[in-house]
Amino acid sequence: MDSMNNFGASADPKSAVMNQVRQEAAMNNARLLIEVPISPSSPPAHFLYSSLHANGADTGAQKKINDHCFERCVPKPGSSLSSGETTCFTQCMEKYMAAWNTVSRQYIGRIQQEQGKAAGGGGSGMF
Amino acid sequence: MDSPNSSLEQNVDLSKLSDKDKQELQQFVVNESQKARIQQTVHSLTETCFKKCVTGGIRSGKLDKGEESCTQNCVDRFLDANFTVIRHLEKMRGSV
Repeated sequence: MDSMNNFGASADPKSAVMNQVRQEAAMNNARLLIEVPISPSSPPAHFLYSSLHANGADTGAQKKINDHCFERCVPKPGSSLSSGETTCFTQCMEKYMAAWNTVSRQYIGRIQQEQGKAAGGGGSGMF
Repeated sequence: MDSPNSSLEQNVDLSKLSDKDKQELQQFVVNESQKARIQQTVHSLTETCFKKCVTGGIRSGKLDKGEESCTQNCVDRFLDANFTVIRHLEKMRGSV
């Protein structure tokens, strides 16, 4: 993680940019899982900025993993998080991520299917 | 937010990129953006479907059979609904 700002040190500017973009995308994705997205602390280079930033704009009201699991696991908050509540949280998180993977698989499968239909069977195989 | 001062450009001299590299990068960014958009949709679908399908108590870290198939159906039906809306809108546009 502490190599975050050392991309310039690597010789090839192209892969430096690619790495940075990949890292920001991964961070953003992880962030979307746990909380409402906030704008990135360091904006990507200008020619990347507009296209990368187009998404994540309309998610203001989404509840995230913590909200879901808090609602489920802590119906009546006590003076501390009990061990039962902690276990519930762990399992709830795992369940949510399992759901994420299932949704992702199903959604991407469906898009590919529809694309194949639209292209008259000549699906381009985007993923 | 004016980008000339972003951390990337302090470290990487973009003007050194060849035209081929630039083109490759553009394509890379287009692909990454599409990926991000898809992930975004997956996030919001997960949200919706988790709420609908995981209704019982949480007793394990895995989705049980019912929850799994409910989630799959949830995605498919959501998209069906989506397509229905689009088709209907197209029909309305055609009839005006």
